[in-house]
Amino acid sequence: MSTAIQTEAGDTFPFPKDYSFPAFFTRQPNLQTHHAQLEKWSALVLAYARHHRLFRLSPTHPVFHNKKLDRRFAEPDARELLEHMRKDGRVEWVGNEVFVYWRKPEDWARKLEKWVEDTAQKGHVLTLYEITEGEATLGTEFHGMDGEVLLKALNHLVKRGRAQIFGQDDSLGVKFF
Amino acid sequence: MFLQHIDLTTALRPSYLPDEVLLFVQDNVGLYEGKFKLPDQQNGQVYLTSHRICYVDKDEPRKRSLALELKDVERHEFYAGFWKSSPKVTIVPKPPKRASLRQTVSSVSAPRRNQGPNSPRPEGSPRPKPETPVASSATWVCTICSFSNPVPSNFDPSAANVHTPLPPCLACGIKPSLSHVLKAAIASANSRPSPAPAASSPVLPVRSKLLDSKSPREAFSEASSPDRTGSPQSATAPGEAASTFECPRCTFSNHPSLLSCEMCGASLIYRQGAEPEPVAPSADVARPQSPGPAMDSPKASGPGGIDVQDSVKISFRGGGAQIFYERLKGSMTQRKWLLQNAPPPPKSGHLMDDGQSSSGQSSPKHKTVGIAGLEQRGMNMRKNNEFIIGNAFEDLEALMASAKDVVALAERLARQNSAGGEGISVEENAILAESASQLGLVTTKDIVGGGSSQSLYLSELARNLAEFLTDDSRGVLKKEGGIITLVDLWAMFNRARGGVELVSPMDFEKAVRLWESLKLPVRLRTFRSGVMVVQGRDRTDETTIKALLSWLQDLHEFPPEREVPWDWRTFGQGVTAQEAATRFGWSLGVAEEELLMAEEHGAVCREEGLEGLKFWINYIDTGDIKPMKTKAQEDADAVVRNLKESGLV
Repeated sequence: MSTAIQTEAGDTFPFPKDYSFPAFFTRQPNLQTHHAQLEKWSALVLAYARHHRLFRLSPTHPVFHNKKLDRRFAEPDARELLEHMRKDGRVEWVGNEVFVYWRKPEDWARKLEKWVEDTAQKGHVLTLYEITEGEATLGTEFHGMDGEVLLKALNHLVKRGRAQIFGQDDSLGVKFF
Repeated sequence: MFLQHIDLTTALRPSYLPDEVLLFVQDNVGLYEGKFKLPDQQNGQVYLTSHRICYVDKDEPRKRSLALELKDVERHEFYAGFWKSSPKVTIVPKPPKRASLRQTVSSVSAPRRNQGPNSPRPEGSPRPKPETPVASSATWVCTICSFSNPVPSNFDPSAANVHTPLPPCLACGIKPSLSHVLKAAIASANSRPSPAPAASSPVLPVRSKLLDSKSPREAFSEASSPDRTGSPQSATAPGEAASTFECPRCTFSNHPSLLSCEMCGASLIYRQGAEPEPVAPSADVARPQSPGPAMDSPKASGPGGIDVQDSVKISFRGGGAQIFYERLKGSMTQRKWLLQNAPPPPKSGHLMDDGQSSSGQSSPKHKTVGIAGLEQRGMNMRKNNEFIIGNAFEDLEALMASAKDVVALAERLARQNSAGGEGISVEENAILAESASQLGLVTTKDIVGGGSSQSLYLSELARNLAEFLTDDSRGVLKKEGGIITLVDLWAMFNRARGGVELVSPMDFEKAVRLWESLKLPVRLRTFRSGVMVVQGRDRTDETTIKALLSWLQDLHEFPPEREVPWDWRTFGQGVTAQEAATRFGWSLGVAEEELLMAEEHGAVCREEGLEGLKFWINYIDTGDIKPMKTKAQEDADAVVRNLKESGLV
């Protein structure tokens, strides 16, 4: 996981069995079945996003289209799915897309804090760019992280008084305490 | 045994004998044996048929239902009810092991009043009486001069045909028509148990001799039945000389000592013995005032035993007694049980013979062949048919007699019609024609009576329907895959009724809804879409789902017809409603509903694709997903989450 490289459409992801079940792509009218369907899809989307280190997802993403079966989880249904995931706190809407929280912001915050402590950077100032793209974070999970998701995680730390954010829009810096 | 246990149909109605016709149904009746209520038979329905009176218990129909055969009935009486006692019909059985030699006369009270108080009680048990043929009181009235002629003693209504010699009218010498005499014979046979003709002439002399030579008492005690029946007259003579005797034929009030009517000459002697002698005098005395409660309890007073039988009373707590009684009288008069095996009535013209025989007759005369022969044959047949119909409708009695011919003819015509008709398959039509005749016992508004007539009609209709559905020979349900929509059933049922007494859709639905409460083996089911179907009680949703699933499971074993992108060994195949309909013999609508029902139960799931709606085994909800959160839980979770976010927890 830690060495995962983001490869667009690289189908190394082991899809679950359900993904090749044709009826899986039709919205089920039976409440119970529908619930199970949503749960399975939600698990699939999270695993898929984690596998590919996806931070943003749109309802028309290729994951909703099984080319082999020629079955598509229609956009309204996908939207319904994402809304269902939002209620569980697994995604968050940004415009027409969602942040996929395969790891929640507070978890990210905990990871960051631990990394800062481990590398003895308390009291230092880091730019956000340094955290996501810098050489220092190579090999950590938050390397290549979506900037906005990182900001949300940092805000958690700010709330708890463990960090301070300053700077302008494009050049944000953070200081850990 | 007088009251017998009977078999019931699946719909808990009596199963009928061949040719038996249902005449009347009444609910809320109870049975009495003699004076006493039969504790187990106090709430049920009574079915009057042409052959039997059947009692079907409401609570324990299979155990407690009884029937008595009309042929065992000696006499029946009506009691109109008084204050709290319900109207009742009393049925007096024939004494066992004796040919019943008495006639039923519906108005027996007057003569019995005479006989009652003074009727001598035999000291010992009455000897078994020798069977003597009863004198035939049958007469036919000449259509020319209105003279009452006796029906010849050797005239057997069941065997008579056109060749039976008939004596001319004694007064004017005109020969009567056969149907006329036949009618008269049947009418007079109304209460005799055997169709054996009676010799009228020998009896009178014997009887008078007896009366001459012996005291009335002796005459009574030794009397063979005809004599015995005469005895009350002689016995009552001293006590109630003033009372008179009504002639059964002309109603002239004769002096009791007379043997034949002064006015019309009809014999008076057979009117009497309608009842076994050892009847409690008190009961008889009480009769004029209140015939009901104390009626006929030979049980209490019967020392002789041999010809003492308990009477059976049917108490009509829900009304309907009057109609029941009328129809009972009618069927006692008709005596269908005798005619059941009787040959078809005599045919007065040679043309009346069947088509085969008529052609057989004509063929030796002139052997026409080819088209001319066929035409000739067709002509003969038509003439024959015309004749049958013409004769049959001449009057009702004759119609009854030639019923078999007419029915056969009607069936033949129906078959011809169906052969020419289009749209309906021949097979279906054959079933319908057949079922129409099998459905002889249709429930009509006419045969049920009483105050609760509407509900009784509906419940009878419900039973009727259940029988119609479950009848194995017809197999209505089976052909439809065990399930049929209500509308289809309604149409089929009304067609099976042959256009008579059609059932209105509203009555139909109401009747169908009664199945549940009547515990009948079929049930009404309403799908979520509002479609109503009828199916066997044993066919529940669970069994249907099981059948569906095992079918879908089979599709895992057999490779699909063409290449499919998914692993059919794992998922099998999706099926359309059309396929399900073909597989199970359902109609398309039913198949759709059944699949939706299975989906509702979570057994299958759907796939909407280019090929339409397909159903699959539900591999989505396999039970490994945690159940849905309730609203309250979600709220609680939201609160906790908010608290966490704000850093409070």
